[in-house]
Amino acid sequence: MSETLPDRSSEAQRLHRELEAVWGNPTGWRALTVVNHSTLGLRFMATGLVFFLLGGVLAMLVRAQLALPDHDFMSPDIYSQVTTMHGTVMMFLFAIPMLEGLAIYLIPKMIGARDLVCPRLTAFGYWCYLFGGIILFASLLLEMAPDSGWFMYTPLSSGEFSPGLGSDFWLLGITFVEISALSAGVELTVSILRTRSPGMALHRMPLFAWYILAMALMIVVGFPPLILGSVLLELERAAGMPFFAVEGGGDPVLWQHLFWLFGHPEVYIIFLPAAGIVSTLIPVFAGRPIVGYGWVVAAILITGFISFGLWVHHMFTVGIPQLAQAFFSAASMLVAVPTAIQVFVWMATLWLGRPRMTLPMLWILGFLVIFVCGGLTGVMLALVPFNWQVHDTHFVVAHLHYVLVGGMLFPLLAGLYYWLPLVSGRLPSERLGRLGFWLTFLGFNLTFLIMHVTGLLGMPRRVYTYDAGLGWEPYNLVSSVGGFMMAAGIATVLLDLALHARFGRPSPRNPWGADTLEWSLAMPPASYNFASLPRVETRHPLWDNPRLGAEIARGEHALAGSTHGRRELIGSEALTGRVRDIIHLPTSSWWPLAAALMLAVVCISLLMRLYPLALAAFMAAGVLLLRWSWENGGHPLAAPLGHDEPVDPPLHSRTQDGPGRWTMGVALLADGAFFLSLLFGWFYLWAVSPRWQMPASSPLSLALLLGAGTLLLVAVGWLERRLRALDAGEDAGLAAALYGIAALGGLHLLLAVVMLWQAGLAPTASAQDAVLLVGLLYVLLHGGLVSLLTVLQARRATLGYVSARLPLEPRVVALLWRYQLGSYWILAAATGLLPRVIGGGP
Amino acid sequence: MTAHTAWRNPGHPVQLLLGLTIWSLWFVALYGGLSIACAVAPPAPGQGALTALNLWLGLFTLATLGALLWLARCCLSAVRREPVRAARFIAAVAAGLHLFAAGGVAFVGLPLVALPPCL
Repeated sequence: MSETLPDRSSEAQRLHRELEAVWGNPTGWRALTVVNHSTLGLRFMATGLVFFLLGGVLAMLVRAQLALPDHDFMSPDIYSQVTTMHGTVMMFLFAIPMLEGLAIYLIPKMIGARDLVCPRLTAFGYWCYLFGGIILFASLLLEMAPDSGWFMYTPLSSGEFSPGLGSDFWLLGITFVEISALSAGVELTVSILRTRSPGMALHRMPLFAWYILAMALMIVVGFPPLILGSVLLELERAAGMPFFAVEGGGDPVLWQHLFWLFGHPEVYIIFLPAAGIVSTLIPVFAGRPIVGYGWVVAAILITGFISFGLWVHHMFTVGIPQLAQAFFSAASMLVAVPTAIQVFVWMATLWLGRPRMTLPMLWILGFLVIFVCGGLTGVMLALVPFNWQVHDTHFVVAHLHYVLVGGMLFPLLAGLYYWLPLVSGRLPSERLGRLGFWLTFLGFNLTFLIMHVTGLLGMPRRVYTYDAGLGWEPYNLVSSVGGFMMAAGIATVLLDLALHARFGRPSPRNPWGADTLEWSLAMPPASYNFASLPRVETRHPLWDNPRLGAEIARGEHALAGSTHGRRELIGSEALTGRVRDIIHLPTSSWWPLAAALMLAVVCISLLMRLYPLALAAFMAAGVLLLRWSWENGGHPLAAPLGHDEPVDPPLHSRTQDGPGRWTMGVALLADGAFFLSLLFGWFYLWAVSPRWQMPASSPLSLALLLGAGTLLLVAVGWLERRLRALDAGEDAGLAAALYGIAALGGLHLLLAVVMLWQAGLAPTASAQDAVLLVGLLYVLLHGGLVSLLTVLQARRATLGYVSARLPLEPRVVALLWRYQLGSYWILAAATGLLPRVIGGGP
Repeated sequence: MTAHTAWRNPGHPVQLLLGLTIWSLWFVALYGGLSIACAVAPPAPGQGALTALNLWLGLFTLATLGALLWLARCCLSAVRREPVRAARFIAAVAAGLHLFAAGGVAFVGLPLVALPPCL
């Protein structure tokens, strides 16, 4: 596809050639090394679409099976695999990656950046997603897919009741895919906070960016509990550590807590970006700014927080005190408030504007109808007595599809139709598009509106067939007919999308009259997005200056061209959007693909119980990731020190607070969520499990515990002193000091290993020892990593890649040292000191 | 205001997270405290809602409510005097978020006056 530049002057053409030489994608085999956000965003979405179709086929199999009573073309085993994989594929392999892909594609274009802040991380995330998805889906083809439901409740998913590899495929595959989600979460957060256009203060940011910021932070905090749960369950299945087995001091309900600590926010992680599409499109098609921008921002943040306080409403029937149920019931009702704020804002914007009934708007209206109904049944389910009555029935299935299909798929299709001209430069067919909408909308309601009744009549979910005469037959038949009608609607939409690439009318520039920056770009956008980076001091840059696209293309704004050969974008302050630095980005690379491939080997080796191979591949992946990190900062392949480099603003690697530090900070937020989930598990089992076996005295040696912690304290103190010296411009003896600090880290590690050795834990006999072992391995892994990184820093200081002129990297590593110090002492207090103070026993 | 205390400024972006973070910590402490107390020393079922546990949790709830209302007031009063527009926007939204968090504490904490803790 050739781009249609917003301006065809010779200066614009010259700039285009110059920037394309630096930012352009390699071709042939080297296309596997691409790190460009547009290409990778589209790859995410294309892969998500494939998984959506596969998940849709599974849904059709389910509806075919349930269409008639006593239908048994699928055996109970296969049916369980199909329903489990349908839910898993749609939630983990379609919804999240698809929305991440959309965000990865759009966010830089909307905030005036040339790429995301960690392009190689984008590529790594994509490969992890692809390989994880293939491994997970392969289980179905091998007829050994997981069959315990998409939430994998223990003990059904444990070794005793699921002895095959199905649960392992789920646990390892999903964990692998979640690396991708976390990668996207971290870099989207930092990109939105640090790479907005000059002048684009927080209160001028497009609402879509607010939604994605909330989604990204929710992924960062919400996914680690499930990763921990998956690690623990896999350890239980593979090594016999009884985290979820009552007889060993564990508790199966702990899995439910860990799963739903992730699972309920997940619903809002899916909903928020979709609502972001709605909040972007409605003002455009209403022809006026959104009513209550600040109210929407507040609603996004409230949703982000409150959604973490609802997880127990999925567990109302497991037997918890009424008062606790009342807390979660009230919190569940509370989350309806921010959602209602947004619905009223959208309605008010339409009311006060002049709405145009275009194809994207049709999908938006469909969303409004379906999602409001889903929200209302959600409030019904928040009421404990009603929840008890319909628990595990088709009413819940109907509700969740109203929320997820209405709340995600409809806005997503609205967004695809809206941004399609930007991606392809062509318009879809209005007639096919409308036919697709009505088939999907009517088919959906025929399937799931009726399913509410089926549920109220008592039909449980996940049963492979039912007897005639129960009164469920007509409802199931109608639902199945509706399901196939919806499938026909989706097929029509896909046909429209496929045909438009060849037969679609060429789109005029900014065909919808939109206000946001992405419509100032070439259609399709060039690899570098913006030939020059504009100053933005309004929420509606294109409404206020319709000629902005041509100005950008002619290089009338900042950082026009790229004679130096670096990939550059502007780094700005999070609140005000003031320029801070120039961020230089890495180029295309094999490292992300190689590291993800090695992790795929780890995953497959663990599945096949080839543990030595898994360990070797894990270490190889570590080496590859460290080698990747080596090409950074002042490295000759990145941005070596020179005499002609910019000073005001400086390159980010010459500052003390570049985006790498923010990336580390956000990544540690995810790490902290994992650690806190582990602590929650420790205290939960201690308080609740009937056979928790806490010995009268801690098995951890007090002297070694305090000694290892003291060494850590000294190392961090020494590092902080060196950082202050570096700030003052003193870098003499830096390498030696860093080697010394790494040596202290090594000693800390040695004492911790001896402590673990001396403890004589029996992790397969008691959950207490098993949790303790995981906790100690966690701090050992972090201690080893931070010491190794410090050795590398010392070596880089020797080579001149770290110095008073290049002070950023030690500050990034310092964050990990501080984290290790904090997590070590918290773990020491919780597992080594607290049992000594208040005694053991349940 | 130094870099270490700048986050207390009502116009600092951290204010957007502060009120709801307090709500979250209160919620975790409420549920965690209830669960641990019920596991360790459950009050007699016949006492109904009039237990020391409900009383302590209720006082904790009132204290949290008071803190959130005070934070909301600080942000509201800063909206008028904040000269930077971006910071004024943050203070206004933060005031709303603190108020919502306070409402959330009151609404979720209300069952403490009516329900026995460990049944």
